[in-house]
Formats: sequence, C-alpha cells, structure tokens
Amino acid sequence: MTAAAIWVLLTIIGELFFLQMDIFGEPVTKQAHFIDEAFILLMVLAIPIFTFVITMILYVVFKFRAKGDDLEDAAPVRTHKKWVGFWLAWTTILCLVVIVHPGYTGIIELRETNEEEPDLTVNVTGRRWQWLYEYEGRDVSLYSKDDMLVLPNDSLIRFIITAEDQDVVHSFWIPAFRMKIDAVPGLTTYFDVNTTHTGHFNDDVNFRVQCAELCGLDHSLMFTRIEVVEPAEFEQWIADEAA
Amino acid sequence: MTAFMPLVRGIIYAAIGYAIGAGIALSIATTTGEPSTEPMIVLGFVFAVIGWLMGVGMWTTWGRGWFGKSTTMDITGGWERYLRFNVDHKVIGIQYITSLVVVFLLAGLLAMGMRYELMDAGQNVFTKTTYNTTMSLHGIMMVAVAVAAVMGGFSNYVLPLIIGAEDVAFPRINALSFWVVPPVVVLLLLSPLFGGFDTGWTAYPPLATQTPIGGLLFELAFLTFGISSILGGMNFIATIITQRAPGMTWGRLPIFAWSVLAASVISLTATQWVAYGLLMIIFERIFNMVFFSPPGGNALLYEHVFWFYSHPAVYIMILPAFGAELEIISHFARKPLFAYRWVVRAFALIVFLSFIVWAHHLFTSGMGESLHGPFMILTELISIPTGIVFLSALGTLWRSKLRLKVPLLFALGVVFNFSIGGLTGIFLADVATDIALQDTYFVVAHFHYTIMGGEIFAIFAAGYYWFPKITGRMYNETLGRIHFGLMFLFYNITFLAMFAPGTVGMNRRVAEYPPEFEFMNLITSLAAFALGLSFLPWIYNMLNSWISGPKAADNPWGAKTLEWQTTSPPPLENFDEFPVVTGDAYGYGDESVVHAKFPNSTNAVPAEGD
Repeated sequence: MTAAAIWVLLTIIGELFFLQMDIFGEPVTKQAHFIDEAFILLMVLAIPIFTFVITMILYVVFKFRAKGDDLEDAAPVRTHKKWVGFWLAWTTILCLVVIVHPGYTGIIELRETNEEEPDLTVNVTGRRWQWLYEYEGRDVSLYSKDDMLVLPNDSLIRFIITAEDQDVVHSFWIPAFRMKIDAVPGLTTYFDVNTTHTGHFNDDVNFRVQCAELCGLDHSLMFTRIEVVEPAEFEQWIADEAA
Repeated sequence: MTAFMPLVRGIIYAAIGYAIGAGIALSIATTTGEPSTEPMIVLGFVFAVIGWLMGVGMWTTWGRGWFGKSTTMDITGGWERYLRFNVDHKVIGIQYITSLVVVFLLAGLLAMGMRYELMDAGQNVFTKTTYNTTMSLHGIMMVAVAVAAVMGGFSNYVLPLIIGAEDVAFPRINALSFWVVPPVVVLLLLSPLFGGFDTGWTAYPPLATQTPIGGLLFELAFLTFGISSILGGMNFIATIITQRAPGMTWGRLPIFAWSVLAASVISLTATQWVAYGLLMIIFERIFNMVFFSPPGGNALLYEHVFWFYSHPAVYIMILPAFGAELEIISHFARKPLFAYRWVVRAFALIVFLSFIVWAHHLFTSGMGESLHGPFMILTELISIPTGIVFLSALGTLWRSKLRLKVPLLFALGVVFNFSIGGLTGIFLADVATDIALQDTYFVVAHFHYTIMGGEIFAIFAAGYYWFPKITGRMYNETLGRIHFGLMFLFYNITFLAMFAPGTVGMNRRVAEYPPEFEFMNLITSLAAFALGLSFLPWIYNMLNSWISGPKAADNPWGAKTLEWQTTSPPPLENFDEFPVVTGDAYGYGDESVVHAKFPNSTNAVPAEGD
C-alpha cells in the first residue's frame, strides 16, 4: 500500500512537472503540431513506468534490506504466474497502443499532404558546406550562404532534396518545423510542411535549415536562416528577387 | 627482461611483415600505375598483424603445428604470463579487462576534451577537424570497450568457471581473438597523426571514402576488431554447447551464461556484415571499385549494411550486462531469480528481433516510406522482452533479504538508468518523433543512457562482484560506495541535461552551436567533469586493493554459482575437483536445490568465511 501511494504521488508530481514545462514553444507548422503532440503523449505514458521503477527501487532498498551482515535467505519465490501474466499483458497492450497511436496515426498525419498539389515547391541541393535553393517555377534561386530562405505562411510547401553527385550525405533539417530528411547524392527525397505561423531566425534560432548528418569540416556551419512571412509579403519578395 | 621478449619479438616481426606487405603492394601498384600509398598501408597492415601474432607467441604455441612440428604452450608463471600469447581463459580475460580499462580511460579523456569545447557556443581549443576526430575516436573506442569488456573480459574469465569447465572450447582461437586487439588500438591512436577522420564511428560513405589516411587506419582498425568479435562469439557458443559440467542442463544454466550465449549468436553472425561493409569501403579507396559512392554506387546501401550489424551490436553490449545485473541481484537479494524461464525466452526474442529492427536508424535517410511502419512496429515490440528483464529484476528484489554491497548498488543503477534509456528509445522508434529527434543530442543522451547507464554500470557491478575471485583480494567497500554515489549522481546530471538541447534544436557532432543552447551545455559539461573525477576513487581502490587489499575468501558473497566454489583466484585448470551439477544456481531459501556436488571432496559447497 505504501509503495502504491508513493508511486501515485511520484506519478502525479512527474506528470504535473512535465505538463507545465514548455519544451518546444509554439509549433509553427501542422507537422510540428503532430510531432509535439506525439512527444507529449509518449512522455505522459512513460512517466508512470519510470516512477514505478523508482518507487520499487526505493521501496525494496528501505523495506527489504538485510540486517547486519548475515546471510539470511529470503523465501524462495521463483515465479508468480498471475504477476507474470499481468506484466506481459500490460506491456503488450501498451506497446500495441503506442504502435497504433501515436505511431501509425503519426505516419498517416505526416503523409496526408502527399497527394495534394503544393502551394510552393523548393528544390534543395546539398553541397559541402552550403545549401542551394531553387523556387520551382518562380525564377528565383539562392546560391549564397548568407541568403535568407523566405517562405510563405499558411501554405503547403514541398521541399525536394538531393545532394550533388560527387558530394556526401547531408541532412536537411528545419528545427522549428521539426522535419528532417537526408540529402543523399544520387537520390531524391522530399518532405511537406503546412506553415501556420510567421517567424524569423533573429527571433528564434530554430528558424534555420541545419545540416544534421555529419559531412566533414564545416558541418556545423552548414545552415541557412529562414523567415516565414505572410503570403502577400512573400509574393512581393519573390517579385523583387526575380527582377 | 625476458618477460618482454614476446612483445618485442611481436613488434619486430610486425615491422618485417609491414615491409613485406608494403613491398608487394608497391610493386603491384608500380606495374599498374595506380597510387600506391593506401594499398601499401592496407597490405602492409595485414602482414604486420600476422607478424605480430606470430611474434607474441602464436607461432610457438600453434603455428609450428601446421607444418608438423612440435608446439609448446607456456601458460604458467607470474605477471609475465600476461605479456604473451597465452591460452588460459583467465589470463585472456584479465588481458582484455586491463587493456580495455586503458582504452576506456583514454576515450573518457577525449570526452572531457569535447565537453570542454562545448562549454560555450564558439569554437575554442579544438579546430573543427580535431574536434571531429576527437568525437569519432571517442565513439569507436567506447564502442570497442562496450563490445569487448563484458564479452572479451568478464565472459572470458567467468563463463568457463560458471559452467564448470576447464577452459573455453577453442583456447588458441581465444588467444588469437585477444591479440588482434592491440593492433586495433595502435591504429586508432595513430589515426590523428595521419589527418584523423571526421566521419564519426558510423563511417558513412561517400564521406568515409574521401577522408585522409587517418580514416583508412580507422576503417582497418574497425574491420580487424570485427574479426576479434566474430572469433569470440563463435568460441563462446561452442563453449556453452560442449563444455558444460556434467548435470549442467539448459534449465540449470546460470542466467549470465544464457546472456553470453545470446550475445554470441549476434556477435558471430551480425559482425560479418559490418566487416564486409568496411572491406567494401577499403576496396573503394584502394581499388577504385564503386559500391557506395554515386555515380554508380548507392550511399544508402552502406547505411543498411552498417545498421544490420550495429543495431544487433547494441544487444551484444547490453545482453551480457543484463545477465550480470540479474545474476548479481539474485545473489545479493538471497532469493531465486524471478521468472528465470521467461528471462531466457526474453533473451531469445531479443536476439531474434534485434536482426529485424535496424532500419529505425534510417527513418530520415530517404529509404522507402513503406518501410517506416513495419520497422517502427518491430522496434517497439522489443520493449516487451526488455520489460521481462525488468520484471525479473524487480520481482527478485521484492520481499528479498537485500545486501547493499557495491555490486548490488551498481546493479540497481542499471535498473534505474536503463529505464530512462529504454523509455526514451520509444521516442526514437516512433516515426513522427524520430523525424524531429534524429541526429540531435536527444539521441546522444538516449544511447548513453542505454550503453553507459546500462552496460557500463553493469560492467562496474561485475568488476566489483568478481574482483575478489579474479585477484584473490577484497576491494575497499567505502571507496566503492563513494565511487558509486559520485558516478551515479553526476552521470545522471550529465545525461539528463543532455536531452534538453536535443529537444529544442541542437544537432549532434558539432564543435560550435547557436548561443541559445549555451546554458544547458554548460551544465552538462560541468557535470561531465565531475563524472570524470568520480573515477579516481575507483582507480585508486582497484590498484590499491589488487596490490595490498585483504585476502578474499573463496566465496565472500555466499553465492551459489560455480565460480565461487573454487579458490580465489582459481587454479590453472579452474577446479581442483570438477563439480557435478545437481540443481540450478538459485536455490536460496530452499535446501532441496543444491547447485553442485564435489563427490570426492569433504566440504561440498564452501560457505562464506572458510
């Protein structure tokens, strides 16, 4: 009973502590929203298991500690059919639950835009140690490391990603969008985001494209600053750049 | 001086071997007009390893027999018996443990250097190249420690004893698998002098085919280490199948032996994949063959081959650690191991599943999206058998008579740490959260929780537990507790703090990072320095106790497994009289279960203090 009480108490404290933490800040894309929710759900499910282990360790150490240095044996309980069955049942059920949600549902959510026509397609090429961008059909390309990658808010944006043929593997990661996929020479990859918030690198360092796969010397500097602006402002920017 | 003769001879023969190999490569390269440097290094190294092995004693104990000549096996003597090709599994175990402690401390110093660099956002002491090389070396050296310290070290020493055998099934292959390790360490330590390598221990091509010569040395070292691992795994499987004492049925086999068997199956079969992968990288470099580098090659192919080994490899590391942890918990709880049969089933299931989960490392690699779902499901299923290990540990502790000695403290540390390591693994098995967390510090914190918090803590548990058996002396309990307290506290601060930058956008393997993440990195670094210092009482305790600690009893823990039913340290052939096994090793509180009988000996099962 005492152990159960400690467990419940620790779990409540753990959950409250976690839920008041603002780990990620506001999600700025639909995909980031899905991913943050999956993370929070997994954490909410993990906390009682963790507190159970802590409770058990603390409880047995204080309650079942042998007196002195004598070698007294405990009662020889070798197994317990019902407890083993119960343990197998709850771990299996929880595992299956997590596989379905947020597991499978998460995969479906991240792919639900696959068939849609994107509002903007950006072709991305990785090269040691910078990213090259081409706004498809808009006559705008960014070749300099210092360029700002400007993206429209409230839009479905598709990034189509590769790396130059003689180059190495990079990973195209936008921390604020929570999305990443490798840029592999000889292979074309993609991901979609639905932007829902505006933002600028200067206000939030996660508005950046960061290479996430070790690619040699300047790997850490292989990043591009991002600004997400309202669609009208974006069209203005595109027009200025194309001119 | 004669003690060092085998080593000196090994070095001389290695030099001669290198000259022969490099000469052959040079003459071939000259006729074909290809660049000759890297082929000379590769072929030179192959011949140098053969020369080294023959020089340290493989020729006299083994090689001469291939030509019908007489061989001599010199396995007795004092400390000098550790300095040559020796077939005694106890000597080999100590050779592994001491060499890997040195590697562990060196790799730990590299980690200290990395944490010093990461204290602030800018780039300070390291250049980008030296940081990458430091990080990569730390990785591969610690992987080597994690793979070989339990398997090569403690398994070698303990396994034949715990199953009541005289030695392993193939003692000479056992010695061979140790003596290829020193060339591996030499190559790794030479690598920074030849440009280093900035690929991480994962060595993804095309980057890995384009590194300086330091990268080639690393790839050769990894490949050679793989050979050691394969031979070791094969040897343990044969030993457990054929060398068990009379009456040691599968149902009576101690759980540590089961865990070594499970890990050995992976070690024997999976390691060959990474060996081929590295061989193909080396062939790309020296023969201009195209396997992985576009155009013509497929970079993703290597990632699959690599993780087809390297995911099972984490179970080579953690399974024997689970075995040692459960063994120690049962003996210090004075209670039979809870749900023994289920743990054996869980180990078997983990081995099976470990081979079919590798692509969860590739969710963001660009592999086919249809693979995401199946690999997520298979990966998350591993939580069920892993849960059984926790059930067994906690079930054994419940209503026990717990003796809180240092080995048990570390075993409890494994239970605590691995619960964090295991639970954070779910976030990386889930496709959605993995896409955000892959390649960030979240992953770094996660695998340090499983491998360092799980396995390395279990190695320390095993180290304290078997110290009196191996050395014949007792360690200092107070210093051991201080070591545990400091290590447990600062370990957890270091790596709990490391999750934070990962979730908020800091990628791994960088020497400089956005200043927003400075504070969390500073905390991690300061805790890491304290963690580094926490090993000092351990080093002092081990050295001092080995030299001048009080003599240990044969069975200071009153444990029932066979290694405690012989002298400390055991005689050359392990038992003065070989045991006949009559029951399992967990008959605590149950006089009807007797693990072993020594028919001709008067004191059948010596208790504590004899």
